[in-house]
Amino acid sequence: MNLSMLKIYPAVAIPVHLIGEVHSKLAYVDERIVSAQISPAGDQIVLELKQPLADGEQLRLEEKVQRVIVSMAQGAIRPKVQVLEDHLDRPTPFTTDPLPELVHRGEISREADGIYTLGPLLTRLIDAFERRFLDLAASFSAQPYRFPTLIPARYLERVGYFRAFPHSLSFATHLTPDLDQIDAFAENAACDEHGNLNVPMQRFAPIQTLLSPAVCYHLYFTLADQILPQQGVTATAVGNCFRYESLNLQSLERLWNFTMREVIFVGSKDFVLENREVARQRMQGVFEEIGFAYRVESANDPFFIGEFRKQAAFQSAFQLKYEIRARLPFKNSTLAVGSYNYHQDFFGRHLNIRLPDGTPAHTGCVAFGLERIAFAYLAQFGFDQTRWPPSMQEILQ
Amino acid sequence: MTELALSSDLAQRIREALSLALQVPLDEITPDLAFGDLPQWDSMGHMEVMMRLEEFFGVEINADTIATLTSFEAIRQYLENHPSGATS
Repeated sequence: MNLSMLKIYPAVAIPVHLIGEVHSKLAYVDERIVSAQISPAGDQIVLELKQPLADGEQLRLEEKVQRVIVSMAQGAIRPKVQVLEDHLDRPTPFTTDPLPELVHRGEISREADGIYTLGPLLTRLIDAFERRFLDLAASFSAQPYRFPTLIPARYLERVGYFRAFPHSLSFATHLTPDLDQIDAFAENAACDEHGNLNVPMQRFAPIQTLLSPAVCYHLYFTLADQILPQQGVTATAVGNCFRYESLNLQSLERLWNFTMREVIFVGSKDFVLENREVARQRMQGVFEEIGFAYRVESANDPFFIGEFRKQAAFQSAFQLKYEIRARLPFKNSTLAVGSYNYHQDFFGRHLNIRLPDGTPAHTGCVAFGLERIAFAYLAQFGFDQTRWPPSMQEILQ
Repeated sequence: MTELALSSDLAQRIREALSLALQVPLDEITPDLAFGDLPQWDSMGHMEVMMRLEEFFGVEINADTIATLTSFEAIRQYLENHPSGATS
Protein backbone atom coordinates (compact mmCIF):
# COMPACT_ATOMS: atom_id res chain seq x y z
CA MET A 1 0.00 0.00 0.00
CA ASN A 2 1.38 3.42 -1.03
CA LEU A 3 0.40 5.45 2.06
CA SER A 4 0.11 9.21 1.93
CA MET A 5 -0.20 11.90 4.60
CA LEU A 6 -2.56 14.86 4.50
CA LYS A 7 -2.37 17.76 6.95
CA ILE A 8 -5.53 19.79 7.58
CA TYR A 9 -5.97 22.96 9.65
CA PRO A 10 -9.49 23.05 11.11
CA ALA A 11 -11.69 25.97 10.07
CA VAL A 12 -12.60 26.31 13.75
CA ALA A 13 -10.38 25.10 16.55
CA ILE A 14 -11.57 21.82 18.01
CA PRO A 15 -12.26 22.30 21.74
CA VAL A 16 -10.15 19.95 23.85
CA HIS A 17 -13.23 18.25 25.27
CA LEU A 18 -14.35 17.35 21.74
CA ILE A 19 -11.08 15.98 20.34
CA GLY A 20 -11.97 12.37 21.10
CA GLU A 21 -15.48 12.72 19.65
CA VAL A 22 -14.26 14.40 16.46
CA HIS A 23 -11.49 11.83 16.11
CA SER A 24 -13.97 8.96 16.29
CA LYS A 25 -16.12 10.56 13.57
CA LEU A 26 -13.17 10.99 11.18
CA ALA A 27 -13.32 7.21 10.70
CA TYR A 28 -16.54 7.74 8.73
CA VAL A 29 -15.37 10.58 6.49
CA ASP A 30 -13.77 8.63 3.66
CA GLU A 31 -12.87 5.00 3.18
CA ARG A 32 -9.40 5.97 1.99
CA ILE A 33 -8.49 7.21 5.48
CA VAL A 34 -6.33 4.68 7.31
CA SER A 35 -5.79 6.64 10.50
CA ALA A 36 -6.16 10.16 11.90
CA GLN A 37 -4.35 12.20 14.52
CA ILE A 38 -5.57 15.45 16.08
CA SER A 39 -3.05 17.72 17.80
CA PRO A 40 -3.58 18.21 21.56
CA ALA A 41 -4.54 21.85 20.92
CA GLY A 42 -7.14 20.81 18.35
CA ASP A 43 -5.65 23.03 15.66
CA GLN A 44 -4.21 20.42 13.31
CA ILE A 45 -5.30 17.09 11.85
CA VAL A 46 -3.02 14.61 10.13
CA LEU A 47 -4.68 11.92 8.04
CA GLU A 48 -2.96 8.81 6.81
CA LEU A 49 -4.46 7.79 3.46
CA LYS A 50 -4.33 4.56 1.50
CA GLN A 51 -2.92 6.38 -1.52
CA PRO A 52 -1.96 9.91 -2.64
CA LEU A 53 -4.92 11.93 -3.88
CA ALA A 54 -5.24 14.17 -6.92
CA ASP A 55 -5.75 17.86 -6.10
CA GLY A 56 -9.51 17.79 -6.70
CA GLU A 57 -9.99 14.67 -4.58
CA GLN A 58 -7.87 16.14 -1.83
CA LEU A 59 -10.02 19.28 -1.78
CA ARG A 60 -13.19 17.21 -1.55
CA LEU A 61 -11.74 15.18 1.31
CA GLU A 62 -10.67 18.33 3.14
CA GLU A 63 -14.14 19.78 2.67
CA LYS A 64 -15.67 16.68 4.26
CA VAL A 65 -13.31 16.86 7.22
CA GLN A 66 -14.10 20.54 7.73
CA ARG A 67 -17.82 19.71 7.59
CA VAL A 68 -17.39 17.29 10.47
CA ILE A 69 -15.42 19.81 12.51
CA VAL A 70 -17.70 22.77 11.96
CA SER A 71 -20.81 20.72 12.60
CA MET A 72 -19.49 19.34 15.87
CA ALA A 73 -17.33 22.15 17.22
CA GLN A 74 -18.83 25.47 16.12
CA GLY A 75 -20.91 26.85 18.95
CA ALA A 76 -20.44 23.67 20.97
CA ILE A 77 -21.52 23.94 24.58
CA ARG A 78 -18.97 22.62 27.00
CA PRO A 79 -20.49 19.63 28.80
CA LYS A 80 -21.01 19.66 32.52
CA VAL A 81 -18.96 16.70 33.74
CA GLN A 82 -20.36 15.23 36.90
CA VAL A 83 -18.50 12.45 38.69
CA LEU A 84 -20.75 10.30 40.87
CA GLU A 85 -18.09 7.83 41.99
CA ASP A 86 -14.34 7.71 41.60
CA HIS A 87 -12.54 4.48 42.46
CA LEU A 88 -9.92 4.67 39.75
CA ASP A 89 -7.11 4.57 42.29
CA ARG A 90 -8.03 1.14 43.67
CA PRO A 91 -4.88 -0.98 43.57
CA THR A 92 -4.99 -3.76 40.98
CA PRO A 93 -2.20 -6.26 40.32
CA PHE A 94 -1.88 -6.25 36.51
CA THR A 95 -0.44 -3.59 34.23
CA THR A 96 0.03 -5.03 30.75
CA ASP A 97 -2.27 -5.36 27.75
CA PRO A 98 -4.16 -8.65 28.12
CA LEU A 99 -4.85 -8.90 24.39
CA PRO A 100 -1.61 -10.65 23.28
CA GLU A 101 -1.98 -13.20 26.06
CA LEU A 102 -5.63 -13.78 25.13
CA VAL A 103 -4.56 -14.44 21.54
CA HIS A 104 -1.65 -16.64 22.65
CA ARG A 105 -3.95 -18.76 24.81
CA GLY A 106 -6.54 -19.10 22.06
CA GLU A 107 -9.00 -17.28 24.32
CA ILE A 108 -10.06 -14.98 21.52
CA SER A 109 -10.21 -15.61 17.83
CA ARG A 110 -10.73 -12.74 15.41
CA GLU A 111 -13.20 -13.58 12.66
CA ALA A 112 -13.23 -10.08 11.15
CA ASP A 113 -12.83 -6.49 12.33
CA GLY A 114 -14.92 -6.16 15.47
CA ILE A 115 -16.05 -9.81 15.41
CA TYR A 116 -14.44 -12.20 17.89
CA THR A 117 -15.15 -15.59 19.38
CA LEU A 118 -14.40 -15.95 23.08
CA GLY A 119 -12.87 -18.96 24.82
CA PRO A 120 -13.58 -20.65 28.17
CA LEU A 121 -11.84 -18.15 30.46
CA LEU A 122 -13.61 -15.11 29.03
CA THR A 123 -16.90 -17.00 28.86
CA ARG A 124 -16.66 -18.01 32.53
CA LEU A 125 -15.64 -14.49 33.48
CA ILE A 126 -18.66 -13.09 31.66
CA ASP A 127 -20.85 -15.68 33.39
CA ALA A 128 -19.47 -14.53 36.75
CA PHE A 129 -20.40 -10.94 35.97
CA GLU A 130 -23.75 -12.07 34.61
CA ARG A 131 -24.59 -13.71 37.94
CA ARG A 132 -24.05 -10.37 39.61
CA PHE A 133 -26.11 -8.50 37.04
CA LEU A 134 -28.90 -11.06 37.39
CA ASP A 135 -28.76 -10.56 41.17
CA LEU A 136 -29.17 -6.85 40.54
CA ALA A 137 -32.15 -7.51 38.28
CA ALA A 138 -33.68 -9.85 40.86
CA SER A 139 -33.32 -7.20 43.55
CA PHE A 140 -35.81 -5.14 41.51
CA SER A 141 -38.00 -8.20 40.76
CA ALA A 142 -37.23 -7.56 37.08
CA GLN A 143 -39.11 -9.85 34.72
CA PRO A 144 -36.91 -11.77 32.28
CA TYR A 145 -37.29 -11.21 28.55
CA ARG A 146 -35.65 -12.60 25.42
CA PHE A 147 -35.41 -10.23 22.49
CA PRO A 148 -34.54 -10.92 18.85
CA THR A 149 -31.24 -9.99 17.27
CA LEU A 150 -33.07 -8.41 14.34
CA ILE A 151 -35.12 -5.26 14.60
CA PRO A 152 -37.54 -3.85 12.01
CA ALA A 153 -36.37 -0.72 10.18
CA ARG A 154 -39.72 0.95 10.87
CA TYR A 155 -39.11 0.60 14.61
CA LEU A 156 -35.81 2.46 14.46
CA GLU A 157 -37.32 5.04 12.13
CA ARG A 158 -40.10 5.71 14.64
CA VAL A 159 -37.65 6.72 17.37
CA GLY A 160 -35.39 8.80 15.12
CA TYR A 161 -32.49 6.37 15.25
CA PHE A 162 -31.56 6.89 11.59
CA ARG A 163 -30.90 10.58 12.15
CA ALA A 164 -29.02 10.14 15.40
CA PHE A 165 -26.79 7.14 14.63
CA PRO A 166 -26.72 6.47 10.85
CA HIS A 167 -23.01 5.73 10.88
CA SER A 168 -23.24 2.70 13.15
CA LEU A 169 -26.20 0.88 11.58
CA SER A 170 -25.91 -2.74 10.45
CA PHE A 171 -28.42 -3.93 7.88
CA ALA A 172 -29.89 -7.39 7.42
CA THR A 173 -31.38 -8.73 4.21
CA HIS A 174 -31.84 -11.98 2.28
CA LEU A 175 -32.02 -13.17 -1.29
CA THR A 176 -35.20 -12.33 -3.12
CA PRO A 177 -37.45 -15.38 -2.95
CA ASP A 178 -37.00 -16.34 -6.58
CA LEU A 179 -35.75 -19.77 -7.61
CA ASP A 180 -33.59 -18.48 -10.47
CA GLN A 181 -31.93 -15.94 -8.18
CA ILE A 182 -31.34 -18.51 -5.47
CA ASP A 183 -29.93 -21.06 -7.92
CA ALA A 184 -27.63 -18.44 -9.45
CA PHE A 185 -26.41 -17.48 -5.99
CA ALA A 186 -25.79 -21.07 -4.96
CA GLU A 187 -23.74 -21.73 -8.07
CA ASN A 188 -21.73 -18.52 -8.25
CA ALA A 189 -21.45 -16.96 -4.81
CA ALA A 190 -17.86 -16.49 -3.72
CA CYS A 191 -15.80 -14.01 -1.74
CA ASP A 192 -12.97 -11.99 -3.25
CA GLU A 193 -9.59 -11.45 -1.58
CA HIS A 194 -11.09 -8.71 0.59
CA GLY A 195 -13.92 -10.93 1.81
CA ASN A 196 -16.52 -9.18 -0.34
CA LEU A 197 -19.33 -11.39 -1.58
CA ASN A 198 -19.58 -11.15 -5.39
CA VAL A 199 -23.35 -10.79 -5.49
CA PRO A 200 -25.11 -7.82 -7.12
CA MET A 201 -27.22 -5.84 -4.66
CA GLN A 202 -30.33 -6.26 -6.82
CA ARG A 203 -30.41 -9.95 -5.91
CA PHE A 204 -31.16 -8.98 -2.32
CA ALA A 205 -34.58 -8.15 -0.99
CA PRO A 206 -35.31 -4.54 0.06
CA ILE A 207 -33.99 -3.87 3.54
CA GLN A 208 -36.72 -4.05 6.15
CA THR A 209 -34.63 -5.22 9.06
CA LEU A 210 -31.45 -4.29 10.84
CA LEU A 211 -29.26 -5.92 13.44
CA SER A 212 -30.37 -4.51 16.74
CA PRO A 213 -28.20 -1.74 18.21
CA ALA A 214 -29.61 -1.98 21.74
CA VAL A 215 -31.53 -4.30 24.03
CA CYS A 216 -34.04 -2.01 25.73
CA TYR A 217 -35.61 -0.75 22.48
CA HIS A 218 -37.34 -4.10 22.07
CA LEU A 219 -39.10 -3.69 25.40
CA TYR A 220 -40.26 -0.18 24.52
CA PHE A 221 -41.74 -1.42 21.24
CA THR A 222 -43.39 -4.29 23.11
CA LEU A 223 -45.08 -1.70 25.34
CA ALA A 224 -46.03 0.67 22.51
CA ASP A 225 -49.63 1.93 22.47
CA GLN A 226 -50.30 0.52 25.93
CA ILE A 227 -51.20 1.87 29.34
CA LEU A 228 -48.75 0.66 31.96
CA PRO A 229 -49.75 -0.97 35.23
CA GLN A 230 -49.64 1.31 38.26
CA GLN A 231 -46.36 -0.18 39.49
CA GLY A 232 -44.58 0.35 36.16
CA VAL A 233 -42.54 -2.28 34.33
CA THR A 234 -39.13 -3.60 35.32
CA ALA A 235 -37.45 -6.05 32.98
CA THR A 236 -34.09 -7.59 32.25
CA ALA A 237 -32.62 -9.14 29.12
CA VAL A 238 -29.30 -9.93 27.54
CA GLY A 239 -28.82 -9.63 23.82
CA ASN A 240 -26.52 -9.24 20.87
CA CYS A 241 -26.02 -5.64 19.82
CA PHE A 242 -24.42 -4.28 16.68
CA ARG A 243 -22.74 -0.92 16.21
CA TYR A 244 -20.40 -0.52 13.27
CA GLU A 245 -17.40 1.56 14.27
CA SER A 246 -15.27 1.56 11.10
CA LEU A 247 -11.60 2.26 11.89
CA ASN A 248 -12.44 2.57 15.57
CA LEU A 249 -13.09 -1.18 15.89
CA GLN A 250 -10.37 -2.34 18.23
CA SER A 251 -9.88 -5.65 20.05
CA LEU A 252 -12.48 -6.33 22.73
CA GLU A 253 -12.59 -2.65 23.59
CA ARG A 254 -14.71 -1.72 20.60
CA LEU A 255 -16.62 -4.53 18.92
CA TRP A 256 -19.08 -4.50 16.05
CA ASN A 257 -21.01 -7.43 17.55
CA PHE A 258 -21.20 -7.40 21.34
CA THR A 259 -23.54 -8.45 24.10
CA MET A 260 -25.30 -6.27 26.62
CA ARG A 261 -27.16 -7.11 29.81
CA GLU A 262 -29.75 -4.52 30.67
CA VAL A 263 -32.11 -3.86 33.54
CA ILE A 264 -34.90 -1.67 32.21
CA PHE A 265 -37.36 0.60 34.02
CA VAL A 266 -40.56 1.99 32.50
CA GLY A 267 -42.92 4.10 34.58
CA SER A 268 -43.16 7.52 36.17
CA LYS A 269 -40.23 9.91 36.25
CA ASP A 270 -39.63 9.28 39.95
CA PHE A 271 -39.88 5.51 39.49
CA VAL A 272 -37.24 5.50 36.76
CA LEU A 273 -34.85 7.97 38.37
CA GLU A 274 -35.06 6.37 41.82
CA ASN A 275 -34.45 2.89 40.44
CA ARG A 276 -31.57 4.08 38.30
CA GLU A 277 -29.95 5.56 41.38
CA VAL A 278 -30.62 2.49 43.54
CA ALA A 279 -29.10 0.31 40.80
CA ARG A 280 -25.98 2.47 40.80
CA GLN A 281 -25.64 2.20 44.56
CA ARG A 282 -26.09 -1.58 44.48
CA MET A 283 -23.50 -1.94 41.73
CA GLN A 284 -21.15 0.22 43.76
CA GLY A 285 -21.21 -2.52 46.40
CA VAL A 286 -20.64 -5.25 43.81
CA PHE A 287 -17.68 -3.45 42.26
CA GLU A 288 -16.19 -2.78 45.68
CA GLU A 289 -16.45 -6.46 46.57
CA ILE A 290 -14.47 -7.49 43.48
CA GLY A 291 -11.96 -4.65 43.78
CA PHE A 292 -12.82 -3.13 40.40
CA ALA A 293 -11.14 0.20 39.60
CA TYR A 294 -13.59 2.53 37.86
CA ARG A 295 -15.33 5.87 37.83
CA VAL A 296 -18.96 6.82 37.16
CA GLU A 297 -19.25 10.08 35.27
CA SER A 298 -21.71 11.90 33.04
CA ALA A 299 -21.41 11.14 29.34
CA ASN A 300 -23.21 11.37 26.03
CA ASP A 301 -24.12 8.89 23.32
CA PRO A 302 -22.03 8.89 20.12
CA PHE A 303 -24.50 10.85 18.01
CA PHE A 304 -23.52 11.44 14.40
CA ILE A 305 -22.20 14.83 13.35
CA GLY A 306 -25.50 16.45 12.30
CA GLU A 307 -27.14 15.79 15.66
CA PHE A 308 -24.09 15.59 17.88
CA ARG A 309 -23.81 19.17 19.08
CA LYS A 310 -27.42 19.51 20.14
CA GLN A 311 -28.11 16.01 21.42
CA ALA A 312 -24.85 15.75 23.35
CA ALA A 313 -25.44 19.15 24.96
CA PHE A 314 -28.99 18.15 25.87
CA GLN A 315 -27.87 14.85 27.43
CA SER A 316 -25.17 16.65 29.36
CA ALA A 317 -27.42 19.44 30.60
CA PHE A 318 -30.07 17.06 31.87
CA GLN A 319 -27.54 14.48 33.15
CA LEU A 320 -29.29 11.71 31.26
CA LYS A 321 -26.35 9.35 30.93
CA TYR A 322 -23.64 8.21 33.30
CA GLU A 323 -20.95 5.82 32.18
CA ILE A 324 -19.08 3.27 34.26
CA ARG A 325 -15.54 3.80 33.05
CA ALA A 326 -13.12 1.04 34.06
CA ARG A 327 -9.41 1.70 34.37
CA LEU A 328 -7.17 0.14 31.74
CA PRO A 329 -3.79 0.27 33.52
CA PHE A 330 -1.79 -0.78 30.45
CA LYS A 331 -2.73 2.39 28.56
CA ASN A 332 -3.40 4.70 31.49
CA SER A 333 -6.88 5.20 30.20
CA THR A 334 -10.48 4.19 30.86
CA LEU A 335 -13.07 2.17 28.99
CA ALA A 336 -16.85 2.50 29.24
CA VAL A 337 -18.12 -0.88 30.45
CA GLY A 338 -21.64 0.11 31.38
CA SER A 339 -24.04 3.00 31.76
CA TYR A 340 -26.95 4.32 33.77
CA ASN A 341 -29.42 5.92 31.39
CA TYR A 342 -32.57 8.02 31.60
CA HIS A 343 -34.49 8.90 28.43
CA GLN A 344 -37.08 11.17 30.03
CA ASP A 345 -40.42 10.53 28.25
CA PHE A 346 -38.83 10.29 24.79
CA PHE A 347 -39.92 6.69 24.15
CA GLY A 348 -43.18 7.19 26.02
CA ARG A 349 -44.15 10.01 23.67
CA HIS A 350 -42.84 8.51 20.44
CA LEU A 351 -44.28 5.06 21.08
CA ASN A 352 -47.42 6.08 22.96
CA ILE A 353 -46.54 4.26 26.18
CA ARG A 354 -48.80 5.79 28.82
CA LEU A 355 -49.02 5.87 32.56
CA PRO A 356 -52.42 5.12 34.14
CA ASP A 357 -53.09 8.89 34.29
CA GLY A 358 -52.64 9.12 30.52
CA THR A 359 -49.31 10.95 30.51
CA PRO A 360 -46.31 9.56 28.60
CA ALA A 361 -44.19 7.01 30.48
CA HIS A 362 -40.57 7.66 31.32
CA THR A 363 -37.88 5.08 30.61
CA GLY A 364 -34.38 4.28 31.75
CA CYS A 365 -31.97 1.41 31.74
CA VAL A 366 -28.81 0.12 33.32
CA ALA A 367 -26.61 -1.52 30.70
CA PHE A 368 -23.42 -3.56 30.92
CA GLY A 369 -21.17 -4.43 27.97
CA LEU A 370 -20.19 -8.00 28.77
CA GLU A 371 -17.09 -8.37 26.58
CA ARG A 372 -15.79 -4.99 27.67
CA ILE A 373 -16.20 -5.59 31.37
CA ALA A 374 -14.48 -8.98 31.11
CA PHE A 375 -11.64 -7.40 29.13
CA ALA A 376 -11.28 -4.54 31.62
CA TYR A 377 -11.26 -7.02 34.49
CA LEU A 378 -8.41 -9.00 32.90
CA ALA A 379 -6.58 -5.74 32.21
CA GLN A 380 -6.74 -4.97 35.94
CA PHE A 381 -6.29 -8.44 37.46
CA GLY A 382 -4.44 -10.46 34.81
CA PHE A 383 -4.38 -14.20 34.28
CA ASP A 384 -2.99 -15.43 37.60
CA GLN A 385 -6.30 -16.26 39.18
CA THR A 386 -4.76 -16.73 42.63
CA ARG A 387 -4.31 -12.94 42.62
CA TRP A 388 -7.95 -12.32 41.88
CA PRO A 389 -10.30 -11.24 44.65
CA PRO A 390 -11.66 -14.35 46.44
CA SER A 391 -15.20 -13.64 45.30
CA MET A 392 -14.13 -13.82 41.65
CA GLN A 393 -12.23 -17.10 42.05
CA GLU A 394 -15.60 -18.85 41.77
CA ILE A 395 -15.01 -19.18 38.06
CA LEU A 396 -12.17 -21.64 38.80
CA GLN A 397 -14.67 -24.06 40.29
CA MET B 1 -39.99 52.55 28.29
CA THR B 2 -42.00 51.31 31.26
CA GLU B 3 -41.31 47.98 32.94
CA LEU B 4 -44.65 46.68 31.71
CA ALA B 5 -43.92 47.64 28.13
CA LEU B 6 -40.45 46.13 28.34
CA SER B 7 -41.89 42.95 29.73
CA SER B 8 -44.54 42.81 27.02
CA ASP B 9 -41.98 43.47 24.31
CA LEU B 10 -39.75 40.78 25.78
CA ALA B 11 -42.61 38.29 25.86
CA GLN B 12 -43.38 39.01 22.21
CA ARG B 13 -39.76 38.50 21.21
CA ILE B 14 -39.65 35.23 23.15
CA ARG B 15 -42.76 34.11 21.29
CA GLU B 16 -41.05 34.92 17.99
CA ALA B 17 -37.88 33.11 19.00
CA LEU B 18 -39.79 30.02 20.11
CA SER B 19 -41.95 30.08 17.00
CA LEU B 20 -38.88 30.17 14.77
CA ALA B 21 -36.95 27.60 16.78
CA LEU B 22 -39.80 25.11 16.96
CA GLN B 23 -41.20 25.97 13.52
CA VAL B 24 -44.75 26.35 14.78
CA PRO B 25 -47.19 29.25 14.21
CA LEU B 26 -46.91 32.19 16.58
CA ASP B 27 -50.37 31.57 18.05
CA GLU B 28 -49.25 28.17 19.38
CA ILE B 29 -46.66 29.87 21.58
CA THR B 30 -48.61 30.63 24.73
CA PRO B 31 -47.24 31.94 28.06
CA ASP B 32 -47.87 28.55 29.73
CA LEU B 33 -45.99 26.56 27.07
CA ALA B 34 -43.32 24.18 28.38
CA PHE B 35 -40.88 21.56 27.15
CA GLY B 36 -42.78 18.50 25.93
CA ASP B 37 -46.09 20.32 25.38
CA LEU B 38 -45.56 20.37 21.63
CA PRO B 39 -44.07 17.45 19.67
CA GLN B 40 -41.58 19.97 18.26
CA TRP B 41 -40.31 20.92 21.71
CA ASP B 42 -38.37 17.70 22.26
CA SER B 43 -34.65 17.36 22.96
CA MET B 44 -33.63 18.58 19.50
CA GLY B 45 -36.27 21.31 19.57
CA HIS B 46 -35.06 22.41 22.98
CA MET B 47 -31.55 22.89 21.67
CA GLU B 48 -32.94 24.87 18.73
CA VAL B 49 -34.69 27.07 21.29
CA MET B 50 -31.42 27.56 23.18
CA MET B 51 -29.60 28.57 20.00
CA ARG B 52 -32.36 31.02 19.03
CA LEU B 53 -32.25 32.59 22.49
CA GLU B 54 -28.51 33.12 22.12
CA GLU B 55 -29.05 34.65 18.70
CA PHE B 56 -32.08 36.81 19.59
CA PHE B 57 -31.00 38.06 23.00
CA GLY B 58 -27.20 37.89 22.93
CA VAL B 59 -27.07 35.70 26.02
CA GLU B 60 -24.66 32.85 26.47
CA ILE B 61 -26.39 29.57 27.23
CA ASN B 62 -24.37 27.02 29.15
CA ALA B 63 -24.98 23.47 30.36
CA ASP B 64 -26.54 24.74 33.59
CA THR B 65 -29.05 27.07 31.96
CA ILE B 66 -30.10 24.53 29.30
CA ALA B 67 -31.67 22.38 31.98
CA THR B 68 -33.57 25.25 33.60
CA LEU B 69 -35.01 27.08 30.59
CA THR B 70 -37.72 24.52 30.00
CA SER B 71 -40.78 26.76 29.80
CA PHE B 72 -41.88 30.08 28.35
CA GLU B 73 -42.10 31.49 31.86
CA ALA B 74 -38.63 30.24 32.88
CA ILE B 75 -37.16 31.81 29.75
CA ARG B 76 -38.96 35.09 30.40
CA GLN B 77 -37.74 35.25 33.99
CA TYR B 78 -34.19 34.36 32.97
CA LEU B 79 -34.06 37.04 30.30
CA GLU B 80 -35.61 39.65 32.60
CA ASN B 81 -32.97 38.97 35.20
CA HIS B 82 -30.16 38.81 32.70
CA PRO B 83 -28.88 42.27 31.72
CA SER B 84 -27.85 41.45 28.16
CA GLY B 85 -31.11 39.60 27.71
CA ALA B 86 -33.22 42.54 28.83
CA THR B 87 -31.50 45.18 26.78
CA SER B 88 -30.21 43.61 23.60
